[in-house]
Parts: sequence; C-alpha cells; structure tokens
Amino acid sequence: MKRILTALALTAALGVAVPAIAADTAEVGKPAPAFTLKDETGKEHSLAQYQGKVVVLEWTNPECPYVRRHYQAKTMQNTLKGFDAKKVVWLAVDSTSHNTPDKSASWKKEQGFPYSVLQDPGGKVGKAYGAKTTPHMYIIDEKGVLRYAGAIDDDPRGKSATPVNHVKTAVDAVLSGQPVPEATTDPYGCSVKYKS
Amino acid sequence: MKRQGSVRWGVLLWAVVASTVTWAAPPASAVSTGAPDEGGNPRVETELRVDVSQVKPGDTFRVGVHFRMDPGWYIYWKNPGDSGLSTEVSWDTPGVTVGELRWPFPSTYRTPDGFIVTHGYKEEVILFAEARASEQATGSLTLSAAVDALVCEQRCIPAEMLLSRSLPVGTETVRDAESTAAFDAAQSRVPLMPEAAGLTMALALDSEKLKTGQPFTGTLTVSASDGKLLSSVEPDFFVPERIRGIKAMGLTLEAPGRFRLQGEAAPNAPKEDPRLKGVLRLGSAQTGFQAVEVNLPLAPVEVVPVAMKPPPAMAPIAASAAAPQVQAVAPAGAASDVSLGMALLFAFLGGAILNLMPCVFPVLALKAYGFTRMAQEDRGRVGIHALGYTGGIIGSMLLLAGVVLAVRAGGHSVGWGFQFQEPLFVAAICAVLVAFALNLFGVFHVGTDGTALAGKVDSSKGVVRSVGEGVLAVVLATPCSAPMMGTAVGFAFASGTGTVLAIFTALGLGLALPFCALVMVPGLAKRLPKPGVWMERAKQLLGFALLGTAAWLVWVMGGLAGVDGMGRVLAFLVAVALGAWLYGLAQAAAGTRRLVGVVGALAVLGTTGGFTLRFDGAAPTERASTVSSAQPWDEAAVAAALKAGQPVFIDFTADWCLTCKFNERTVLAREDVRAAFTRHQVAFFVADWTRRDAVITAKLGEHGRAGVPMYLVISPTAPDRPEVLPELLTADTVIQAVRRAAGPDSDAT
Repeated sequence: MKRILTALALTAALGVAVPAIAADTAEVGKPAPAFTLKDETGKEHSLAQYQGKVVVLEWTNPECPYVRRHYQAKTMQNTLKGFDAKKVVWLAVDSTSHNTPDKSASWKKEQGFPYSVLQDPGGKVGKAYGAKTTPHMYIIDEKGVLRYAGAIDDDPRGKSATPVNHVKTAVDAVLSGQPVPEATTDPYGCSVKYKS
Repeated sequence: MKRQGSVRWGVLLWAVVASTVTWAAPPASAVSTGAPDEGGNPRVETELRVDVSQVKPGDTFRVGVHFRMDPGWYIYWKNPGDSGLSTEVSWDTPGVTVGELRWPFPSTYRTPDGFIVTHGYKEEVILFAEARASEQATGSLTLSAAVDALVCEQRCIPAEMLLSRSLPVGTETVRDAESTAAFDAAQSRVPLMPEAAGLTMALALDSEKLKTGQPFTGTLTVSASDGKLLSSVEPDFFVPERIRGIKAMGLTLEAPGRFRLQGEAAPNAPKEDPRLKGVLRLGSAQTGFQAVEVNLPLAPVEVVPVAMKPPPAMAPIAASAAAPQVQAVAPAGAASDVSLGMALLFAFLGGAILNLMPCVFPVLALKAYGFTRMAQEDRGRVGIHALGYTGGIIGSMLLLAGVVLAVRAGGHSVGWGFQFQEPLFVAAICAVLVAFALNLFGVFHVGTDGTALAGKVDSSKGVVRSVGEGVLAVVLATPCSAPMMGTAVGFAFASGTGTVLAIFTALGLGLALPFCALVMVPGLAKRLPKPGVWMERAKQLLGFALLGTAAWLVWVMGGLAGVDGMGRVLAFLVAVALGAWLYGLAQAAAGTRRLVGVVGALAVLGTTGGFTLRFDGAAPTERASTVSSAQPWDEAAVAAALKAGQPVFIDFTADWCLTCKFNERTVLAREDVRAAFTRHQVAFFVADWTRRDAVITAKLGEHGRAGVPMYLVISPTAPDRPEVLPELLTADTVIQAVRRAAGPDSDAT
C-alpha cells in the first residue's frame, strides 16, 4: 500500500513522465529491427537494402580476447567463405562506445577480412538487437525475419577439436528453406562495452 | 547434467593441457597467477588448498581453489549471466575421489545502463569440493587442478592455470586450523538444500502451461519448519541458473516468505518440463544470511505457433455491447490476441458506455446541470468548458496510467480500480464528495464567485471547475467496468508503456465525448428551459446524489477496514462538514473574524483527520454473500469440484465495484438463476478483490482482464477452457453458460 502511495506521489511529481521502454527489440521469428549505420569508410548500410539476401550480423570488438581468438583461427572468414556470396551478406557491427572508424579500418586491414564494420558507438542498434557479447551473431533471412541469435559455435573455451559452427548450420538451413534447428543459443564472450 | 559432462571433458582435456604445459611452463605448484594485462600484471592469483595437513586412508577432507582477484576484477559463477564464461575447475587426483564443485552465493553485477547482468565473485572466493582418500592410499597423494576462468573488469582476460600439490597419507587425519577456517567461511556461503536448511518451498504457477514466447507468473512460498523465517532480503537475492527455454526470470518479495515469480518462455522453448533452478538468499547483513538451492518444477511448455491467427473470439464480445443478451464466449487468454487498433476502439467505446454506468452518473447529472447553465453563454465559452472537462478527464486518465506503470515498474501488479483498495483514498474521495455536496447546498462557495448561482460564472473559475469535474468523473468511474472496457484495459495492463498511455487516452476520450458532442450540437441550447429558481433546486437535489455516492463509499470502507474503519471515516466526514460550515461563515464575515473562521476550519480538519484516518487493513469483515451457497475462491477447491464432475462458476468481485454488485443483485440472486445453479449442481466461488490480492490479480490477468467483474464458467469436461462471461450479465447468459458447462445430458433431470 505504502508503495502505491509513494508511486502515486512520485508520478504526480514527475507529471506523467514515465521513461519509455523500447518496444523494438529483436526476437527470433519476428521481423528484425531496421537500422541504418555508417561503416568504417563512412558509407551507409541499411538492413532494407539487403532485402532478398541472407544477412549475417556479427557483434565485434577487436579488443576482446574471444574475438581475437576467432580471428586468429579465421573462424569468421572461413565461415563466410563457405557461403554463396550472391546470397549472403556479412556485416560486422561494433557497439563499443570508444571505438572509432579508424580503429575498425586498421583492424580490418590487419586481419584482411572483406566485410564492412558498422559503427554503432551509441549502442542503439546493439541494444535493439539485444547484443550482449562479442561475438554475438544474428541471421536475418531474405524477407527480413530474424532466424538465429546466439553464439558463433558451441565451443566457448576454444578447446574443442571439432566445434559445431551454429552460424554455418543456420545459414544453410535458411538458404535451403528449412527451419533453423537451434534458433537461439547462449552467446559467450566479453560483454559489449556500451556507452552508459 | 551439463556440469558432469564438462567435468569429464575437462579430464580429457587435462592430458592435452598437461602435456603442452610440461614443456611450456615450469612444473605446476600450489600457487599460480593468471590473466596478465598489457603490462604483464596478473589480475588473478589462485592457490590449491586442502583443509588437512595429513589424511588417513578412507577419510574425507575438502579440496578447493582459492581465487584472489585484483580490486574491481571478478570471475564468474556457474551461470555467468548475459556475458562472460563460467569458471571451470577440472580435477586430476589419483587415489582421491572428488565430489561436485561447491559455489558460494554469487554477487550480481550490472552495467550502469542495466543492459548486461552477470554473476560472479570479486576480491576472493574458494570454489571447493568434498574429497575422499582411497582406502589403499599410501605415502603421498598428488592433487592437481586445471582452472579455466575469465577475469573481467572493463576488459576481460582469460586465465588458464595448472595447480598441483601433494598431501601426505598418515595413520590419522590432521586438520589444518587456518585452512579449515577459510573453508568453513566459504562453506557458510554455499546454498544448502532446502531440507538441510529446515525450509520447505512450494511453487504455484498461475497457468498450467508455459506458452512459448509468452510471459508467465507464479508464487514461490518459503516456510521454515521451526517457524523462524528470515523475512527480509537484500537486492539480487535470487540468482537463476541457465534454464533451457526460459528467456528471463526474476523473483520479487511480496511478503515474508512469499515471492512473485515473473518470467518469459523463449519463443523456441523445447517442449519439455523446465524447472525453476537457482539460488535464493534470505536475510540481510544485519540478520545474517541463509542461502538455499531452489529446484522446483515450473510447468510443461506448450508450443504456440508464432504466426498464429487471432481467433475470431472478439466479434461476439463486440456484439455483446449492443445486445448484452448475445452470448459472449471468449476462451482463456483470448485477450492477448486483440490487436492494438481493436483495443483502442474497445477502450473508446468502453469509455463512452461508462457514462451510463451508475458510478459516473452523479457527475454526469452535475454536468447536465452545468450544461443548461452554460448554454446561456456564447458558443466559444461552451467550447472552452468542454475542452476543460475533456482535459481533466484525459489528464487524470494519464495520471492513472502513470501510477499503473510506476507500480508495475516496482514489481507489483495492479488492476483497474486498484485505488479503491486503499482506505485513505476512499476516505479522501468521501471527503471530496461531502464537501462538494455542501457546496451545492450553499454552505460555502468555491473561491469568490458568490454569484455563480445566477449563471454569471467568472470564466477562468468556471473552466477550473469543468476540469475538476472531469477529474471527479474519472475517479468515480474507475470502480465501474463497462462492457468492452475489460478487454481493452486488460490488453493495456499487459502491454508496454506506449500502449498503456494510448489506451487510457482512448478511454478518456470515450468518457468525455458524449458530453462534448451534446454541448456542441447547435440549437440544442434553445430547447432548454430558461434558467430560474428551478436550477437552484436541481443543484441542491444533485447534492443528495453525491451524498448517496459517499454513503456507498462508506460501505466500501466497511469492507476494507471493518466497522471501526467505517466509524472513523464517518467521524472524519462530520469534521469535513463542520470545516465547510466554518469556512462558509468565514466567507460571509470580514477581517480577523474571517481569518479566524478559515483557521478554525483547517484546525478542525487537521486534528480530526489525524485522529480518525488510521485504518486497519487486517480488520475482520464479515459480510453475507448474495449467493448463499458461495465459497471463497481457491484453486484447489475449484479443482476438487471439477474432479467431482461439478461445473464451476467463479464470481470475481469487489465491494467497490458497482457493476459487480449490480450483477449479483439483479442476476445472480434471481430465482431462475439460483434454480439453474442447483439443477446443474454448480459449485459457486467468490473471488473477493475488495482488498489487494495478488493471486486474484494474476488470475484476472490470465484471462486478459485488469479488473473486476469477471465471471468464469468452467466445465468439468474441459477444465482448461473456461468460458468468460461478459461484464454485464443477464439471467439468460448465465443460465445458458451453466447449461453448456454441465453438458448435454444434464438437462434431462
């Protein structure tokens, strides 16, 4: 009761200014949140422009040991190589608050991967997708529906000789019109260093 | 299961790691450091410890890894949370059997925006296990552990460490005092099994199934066998394990030993029986803590197809508003399939119908009176008044929505009309009504417009009054529930902030519209009788209508706070009347006498209010039900009745709900309805929501409702598909529903 009264007083004091909860969050099986972000060269990418292709989003942060481990092992590059380039688009997204386009560009050069690194230092897109870790992977089908969210593979500790690549499995399923066997998995890695 | 797997896997790994390490690193010792940062500074130090200095073959002891982190750095619990990696300890202990790893109760860490939540340990922790030396052990035992941890602050650094030490075998086991103390300290923080802690736990889900992609609620009760239960908790008292198919889950403390469970099943949850698993810590830093394992079955998962078409259940409900005798059948949970547009439309229409409900009627009558007065004014002024009235209604609707959201954000759930569950609120409204009535009687005037009666209303004052009437309309409207409104408000209460505000606005517009439309119709003013003495009489008569409303609220108070509460509120109302009278005298006087009058009025109100406005929410209230055979609602009793083959009728009601009372007196108490109940052997239950009741609130929510009345008819042949009757009952609706529930062959008797 006391709580209600406090809330009443509080609300009266604030007017009706109750903080809005973002309703636009990613959910597997539903349309993926739309976005338009610049990459490390300043070029804009929107989800809408890739309609008709399968889009893989990779939350990344070159400072994170988990990301570094996967790049050393060329996990991302090799996974991408296994897909038909005409049908699949790979985009890295960096929601680290202190990241800059220059840092992304020099990392891309160092690692020699072909895809763009979208700049999301404000973290808006990351939070809309609910990206918690680096890496955290999302797969959006040709119609813009989110089909997979989770880890890159089933090997958080990097010790398995034969890790199962969840992204490979999911993209292959989407391309062949099949349901994704494991549509969400627990992502692992460093937390996304959001601006706060 | 998962852990056992990882331990086995860890042992397998051991060989690989050990063989690499033998040439890469110096031989493992009992102490090791890990997670060096850029400067090579290790952020964690680990030590392999045992609580004995010598062990006798066959004896048990404790073995563990003592982690010491740099300030600010932490390692993770077995469920790391949103990010991170659980700490892993793999044993290699020939001649020693090591049990399951023990995890002290973890801390919960949040990023400043609260977006990422993780669980772990800062400063230091011992992760340990019970160990037993083999009966054949001789000489010295070698204990080794491979530690795999992620050490984080802002950054994260992985740490892999190998630890090894020897333990002499002797004829006696010799405890090491220092280590034993350290292990004891760690052990005191490890959650116990409920039985070992002398606690019993029970979980009651509000629904029989967890629907994929949908929220669920329940109540966890904890009781102590010795009756001594730690009643308080500190923040982050519950840390869940990762549960497959459960997207999010949390507990909030409702009362000592009672916790509200709120969670959401993942859209792709596998069709299995998930369990509520995690650790719960009762107590506070003052009382001391008691941590306990929670492992209770939730409910089976029911897979709901994502692209589900909304069932056509809404159409009959819409029809019921126009013709209440049409049967409105809504399967349970149907409300969640209402679209936002539909809900807005329902809210608007429901608001409009609210004007005809008995609650709002006194205000409406007042408004009609004001209308005749205003009709004499020019059209522009009338428009301003209409706007003021609408503004007052929408403003207070939004305030109500804001309160609902704020309370909900605090982890509580409320329903439509919840403010009438608060005795102080009821007392305040009584006081406003009595004061308003006395004002209409002419005991005192509001402000200085002593000549308002003649219709020469000062423009600004008049508008303020219109706004005030709008506010009063909303306040008095809430105990009523109009057809269609239940669906709309139920939808709102289960939705996000934007939707709540939108629906309450639509409700307000609906409530305000008929009056505004009336005012705006040109030429209508000319048909009204000329103002005169009759208006003064009409106004005084309306004062009695307000007193009548106050009388009803006093009765509501009886249900909330007993006979004493009623007495107190009546005493307070007398003081209000005395204050109003003194204030009226002061208005007629001048100078110091005037001041004395005003001060006197305030003094009377203040002192009496202080003495009388104390209500005992637990006071016993005995009240005969309208339906003599009624029993208080209780899920177990309902289940028993259904099992016995009886149809069940549940009346969700509250004393302050006029629509409920109207239905009970005019329909449920009718001879033919009673006869139908008897003929079909209906078990009649009353769920009384006069006072706050979380279980009833949850049950209402389950059927997409946020308030009373709600009527459920459950057939013993289909207990999982209760029928929800419309808010306004007719005898025919009830009799038909009961007959359907009883089944086709029951009519023969």
